[in-house]
Amino acid sequence: MFKLDEKPRVFLEEFRVKNAPDDYGMADEKWDFKKFTKKFRIVIVRMDKWEMEFDLIGLQPAFANAFRRLMLSEVPSMAIEKVMIRNNTSIIQDEILAHRLGLIPLKADPRLFEYRLEGESEASEFDTLEYSLKVKCTAKSQNKDTFKPEDLYENHNVYSSQIKWQPVGNQASIHKEQDVGPVHGDILLSKMRPGHELDLQLVAVKGIGKDHAKFSPVATATYRLLPEVTLTRKVSGSDANLLQSCFSPGVISIDSEGCAFVKDARYDICSRNVFRYDSIKDAVILSRIRDHFIFNVESVGALPPHIIFIEAVKILRNKCKTLLEELNKI
Amino acid sequence: MLKNELKLSELPGDDDSGLTCRTYVIKDEGHTLGNALKCIINRYEDVQFCGYTVPHPAESKIHFRIQTEETPALEILKRGLNDLKRVCEHTMDLYETKVKEFNKT
Amino acid sequence: MEFSKKLSEWDNGKGLREPVKALEDKWKLVPSFLEVKGLVKQHIDSFNYFINVEIKKIVQANEKLFCESDPLFYLKYLNAYVGTPDLEEGFNITKPTTPHECRLRDLTYSAPITVDIEYIRGNQRVIKNKQLIGRMPLMLRSSNCVLTNKSDFELSQLDECPHDPGGYFIIRGQEKVILIQEQLSKNRMIVDEFKGAVQCQVTSSTHEKKTRTNVILKNGKYVLRHNALSDDIPIAVAFKAMGICSDQEIMQLIGTDDKTIKKMAPCIMDCHNLKIYTQTQALAYIGHKLKLKRYPSAAGKVKTPIDEARELLATTILAHVPVDNFNFYVKAIYLAIMVRRVIEAETNKVAIDDPDYYGNKRLELAGSLLALMFEDLFKRFNWELKSIAEKIIPKVKAAPFDIVKHMRPDLISNGLFTAISTGNWTIKRFKMERHGVTQVLSRLSYISALGMMTRVNSQFEKTRKVSGPRSLQPSQWGMLCPSDTPEGEGCGLVKNLALMTHITTECSEEPILRLACNAGVEDVRILGGEEINHPANYIVFLNGNILGVTRQYKKLIKIFRMFRRRGLISAFISIYPNHNQRTVYICSDGGRLCRPYIIVEKGLPLVKQKHINELKRHLRKFQDFLNDGMIEYLDVNEENDSYIATVEADIDPYVTTHLEIEPFTILGVCAGLVPYPHHNQSPRNTYQCAMGKQAMGTIGYNQKNRIDSLMYNLVYPQCPMVKTRTIELTNFDKLPAGQNATVAVMSYSGYDIEDALILNRASIDRGYGRCLVYKNAKTTMKRYSNQTSDRILGPSRDATTGKVIKAHDILDTDGIASPGEMVENRQVLINKQMPPANVTPVAQGQIQQIEYKDVPVTYKGPVESYVEKVMVSSNADEACLIKMLLRQTRIPEIGDKFSSRHGQKGVTGLIVQQEDMPFNDRGICPDMIMNPHGFPSRMTVGKTIELLAGKAGLMEGKFHYGTAFGGSKVKDVCKELEKHGYNYQGKDIFYSGLTGEPLEAYIYSGPVYYQKLKHMVQDKMHARARGPRARRHLRCVRPPGQSLLVPRVSLVRAGRERRDAVRVQAALPGAGFNEHSAATYS
Repeated sequence: MFKLDEKPRVFLEEFRVKNAPDDYGMADEKWDFKKFTKKFRIVIVRMDKWEMEFDLIGLQPAFANAFRRLMLSEVPSMAIEKVMIRNNTSIIQDEILAHRLGLIPLKADPRLFEYRLEGESEASEFDTLEYSLKVKCTAKSQNKDTFKPEDLYENHNVYSSQIKWQPVGNQASIHKEQDVGPVHGDILLSKMRPGHELDLQLVAVKGIGKDHAKFSPVATATYRLLPEVTLTRKVSGSDANLLQSCFSPGVISIDSEGCAFVKDARYDICSRNVFRYDSIKDAVILSRIRDHFIFNVESVGALPPHIIFIEAVKILRNKCKTLLEELNKI
Repeated sequence: MLKNELKLSELPGDDDSGLTCRTYVIKDEGHTLGNALKCIINRYEDVQFCGYTVPHPAESKIHFRIQTEETPALEILKRGLNDLKRVCEHTMDLYETKVKEFNKT
Repeated sequence: MEFSKKLSEWDNGKGLREPVKALEDKWKLVPSFLEVKGLVKQHIDSFNYFINVEIKKIVQANEKLFCESDPLFYLKYLNAYVGTPDLEEGFNITKPTTPHECRLRDLTYSAPITVDIEYIRGNQRVIKNKQLIGRMPLMLRSSNCVLTNKSDFELSQLDECPHDPGGYFIIRGQEKVILIQEQLSKNRMIVDEFKGAVQCQVTSSTHEKKTRTNVILKNGKYVLRHNALSDDIPIAVAFKAMGICSDQEIMQLIGTDDKTIKKMAPCIMDCHNLKIYTQTQALAYIGHKLKLKRYPSAAGKVKTPIDEARELLATTILAHVPVDNFNFYVKAIYLAIMVRRVIEAETNKVAIDDPDYYGNKRLELAGSLLALMFEDLFKRFNWELKSIAEKIIPKVKAAPFDIVKHMRPDLISNGLFTAISTGNWTIKRFKMERHGVTQVLSRLSYISALGMMTRVNSQFEKTRKVSGPRSLQPSQWGMLCPSDTPEGEGCGLVKNLALMTHITTECSEEPILRLACNAGVEDVRILGGEEINHPANYIVFLNGNILGVTRQYKKLIKIFRMFRRRGLISAFISIYPNHNQRTVYICSDGGRLCRPYIIVEKGLPLVKQKHINELKRHLRKFQDFLNDGMIEYLDVNEENDSYIATVEADIDPYVTTHLEIEPFTILGVCAGLVPYPHHNQSPRNTYQCAMGKQAMGTIGYNQKNRIDSLMYNLVYPQCPMVKTRTIELTNFDKLPAGQNATVAVMSYSGYDIEDALILNRASIDRGYGRCLVYKNAKTTMKRYSNQTSDRILGPSRDATTGKVIKAHDILDTDGIASPGEMVENRQVLINKQMPPANVTPVAQGQIQQIEYKDVPVTYKGPVESYVEKVMVSSNADEACLIKMLLRQTRIPEIGDKFSSRHGQKGVTGLIVQQEDMPFNDRGICPDMIMNPHGFPSRMTVGKTIELLAGKAGLMEGKFHYGTAFGGSKVKDVCKELEKHGYNYQGKDIFYSGLTGEPLEAYIYSGPVYYQKLKHMVQDKMHARARGPRARRHLRCVRPPGQSLLVPRVSLVRAGRERRDAVRVQAALPGAGFNEHSAATYS
């Protein structure tokens, strides 16, 4: 019988996902912080301004999941929360326009701001950012030969780049316009025609994704378990090609003798289509490593992804801290 | 929520069973903390049972129950929170060094 | 044996011929058909026929008006016209108008009816042209409507949506549809069994009369029964009264075989017993059985009973059979055929007609209904003119009597307007009284409006519990949608037209008569009974009347069909034989259902691939196919005489005569929205047909210009990922009503039992299911007879503080709330005041202090609204009209109703944070979780395929098609998924959002088109502050076995699903709304 190495696994069977009988202490091992630090590893695979991929290896799914959840819903970011409408003669209704504005990602670093407390009506320079959007659509001097709106009208499309920052108090000396404005300048907010006018005052505050998805700092933050493909017997010839086609590109390679071998299962998509072919279905074991989490964090633009992760962990630590403080007081 | 309001309280009903059984109500918390904390406390030597529940999806609170052989539940809770804090701190440290390493290369 | 062996040697075992190759893209004929015929073309065609042709005929039929007090006086109508839509602004001043102006200003979209007249004034003959006699409500997009033949740009200038189908009326600002009415065809013999007795019934209908004649078997004898007769007349007496006096002649007409003679013998005996031998005796006998005539003839000359009986036989009994100069021969033949049919049906049950058969039905459209109404009103108009003339002419007057001055256009206008606006069709001369003929056009969604235009209403009583008329008739195939019918009392009685159905308008009989004669039809008037009934002869009927007799019926039919295909006679004339009755029927009347088919000759369809290619390159249109004789229209009766292949492969070279254009056209507009309906359990498609009409979305490109009393719009409507051909043909993809939600089929949390859905909070935050609800507030400022009028005052101020009071907070200085303001409960929108009724008018110049009464228009509702726009205008009575549009934006909440396109409705059971939702390897969280228990009992396999096809479409970046009886194949769709690395079956690995561990099952997930239905919690919650049973807050569960006194105002009105959702909340541990938890954990 084929022997797999000592890792907690979950098998991807044809009709169900089944945990391996031996989980190497995933479920009932006693807690030991030292052991944890010894086992726990972090590998950063890919990282840029917007997106990163990293592995957390050797920890409980509860922790990995907690980090994922925190990144989605509790790491704060700035978003437009209030829209003061002085004039809106466009065809978009006030509420819808406000909703659209709220979903625009802002570059402002939420760490530089405080939460605006409930009941506090006065805006201060430490908790709010103010913007204005003033656009008026006008007809261009009549050009007879064209019917394209861009030739006929001025400002017939309102884009997020037209939002102007208005410093409150001392903000101008701390922040720069390019650091607090919208992340993308090409988000279409509204279409207008001559006579339509927008005159809005936008107020952005700090908030968390739990309250509204617009405050979430990530487009998505997710993880998956490391896939593993094991061949139990030799597969060669046309079966090898068939096998190769059942997995994502680069997972299965064929050597010079025409035998298939597993090259790198990391980027397999786990489609399990191999189970459709009786000739090769018995040659593979599909599984995933239960304590190897491949995280994928896509930032919305305000914070670089590695900061978002750090912030998320920090929030969990702070939660423990506040509870501990409270317990110690009693 | 007001700043001085307490996040933690006890659910009545365990007064007769000594200090070893307690159900704590943690306000404004959900599966994020509950599951992670449960994961740690469940693995402690002396713990008979540890579990949590979100009693109603419309309310933002969890019931966190600890049953031990001897150690007072409160102590276990403290230890759990402490350990979780240490896990977080360790993760942060390790992560930051890894990020630095990555940026160097 | 030998032969078949040789045959297979000869053609290499292929059989006699290769199977017919399928025509590619044959469905392109459907849009080409709809281009000319449109979805509501039947309404518009029928109305056009009425205002351009029939109205002239009606006026001509009633052209002369005489006066008994002055024999020289007359009034003659020379011609009649219906003009273009305009508004009367003051005396003799008119202004052209547009439909949208009429909608906004509560006006009627109508055009003047003018006539050219010739009459006597004094001693002069006067001709007057363009005399107004009334106003005709105009159907939108009819020939006289301003919208016809306008480009999309021009339509937008008129504030009209280019996709609006038209076909309805605007009466006092309300959009009204005259529903299609279904009824048994007139002037046809129907043999049925009534209380065990066989009878042959004919409902005759002419312009003057509508009567019913029966031939019944009564005590072994045949009798004639009619409403105008107090008693049944023995059939032999009737024949004698018609001049067929000898018994032999009677028997020859009916039939001379032994069976018939045996059956008829008692009837003939009867006649002898009554001692009736001559026509006069027979007429005298009938004359004494007449019901009392109510109105003595105008001339005052009293007629003898014999004359009256003769008159009755000529004009009332079998009124549609013409009698010239009291020559009853044709009528006698007709009556003889009726008797023969009864005799035949007695022994042969096959000869009994099925009244539910669609060949025996006619559909009445707006045009013919309005024609009935107009003729009635026009007759009344003339009668009134006549009585005025009779009253005034004898009086000596200074000026000569001018009848034009006494013409009141109001009579006809108001008659037509009230008929359409109330839907009560009362026509005195036919004793017709129908209710609910018209309905308000439902503008809930584009599809609901379109669905209403294709609705067919049956005259059958809705409360009767018989299954016959309600069940699906095989002859409905292709004509009426098999899925689209309501549940409950209207089930099977209210139907909808299929996509390619056309309803005929009547066409002239003249060319048919000539063609028939040339094709060898012999006139019956020159033939005796023996010849007519000769077994080799076929009797030819034209629209229910006997045309003649032919020996070569096959040739006759062939010639007619050839002429029709050549375009020499109207394409809608149908001809078909009935071999049991040995008759050939030719029909050219209006209201028949028909639909186009490809003609097949010698086993090959006449439409070839090259023609389709020409069609694709726009070198050919549908009409060209008709003109070239490749496609023809068949009505239900002729369809039954044809062999129609559904697909090319079904063509049998020896019998097939026609080929179906596209099988999906057997469905209607609403059922056409369902993807893969052929994979669903049939009632599910029916449910979707009902729900598609409640889905909110877009109602038209002009929706922002409308001020409707209720309008629902989706903020971000989407075109479905899985389309159907019908969706494209009906423009549903341009005016959609729903959104594509990523659905995971799994159970979650227990708040999803009984079809409840779980929604993703983040999806809602990003705009999923967000909708706009528009309501209006309106008022008019009336002027009263006592020189007073309503007025509007600016906002009132508090006496002490000088501040504007709260109720008037949003009022502008003119006393009307300004646009953009938020209105709360009980705030005033329009601060109107009314003068008291008892103020007496005062002389000019005097000012009287009047105590005005406050009658403000206030806003009511627990949730605030925003004023979108305010309109100030004037209505038809010149009174000031103020309309205000109020808007609410609603976000999905627990209890809101959603439905997929497969009759699977459900309410939101729980809204879950994104992080709690399950997620897959790619980090995708579903927008919605649907419980898999919804599938086994509902058997909506179509939905699972929609999900799969939608998912593959996302990967490829294209729309898949789920067209009925076709569409993308599951196999291909799965291949596509596999190509993109997805699981072949569409099942993915998901992780629990709560614990972070992989779920034990693979989850079927992908996009499904979901509709938000109009039923929302916010509209259904009603509560009162005080009263008994105040403790029963939201939970309204009756204790078992205990009857409750239902409070006058019920606390909660809950639908079944919503009630279940509440139960879910109650059934789970710890559930219950806060009161519970407050009590337990202090």
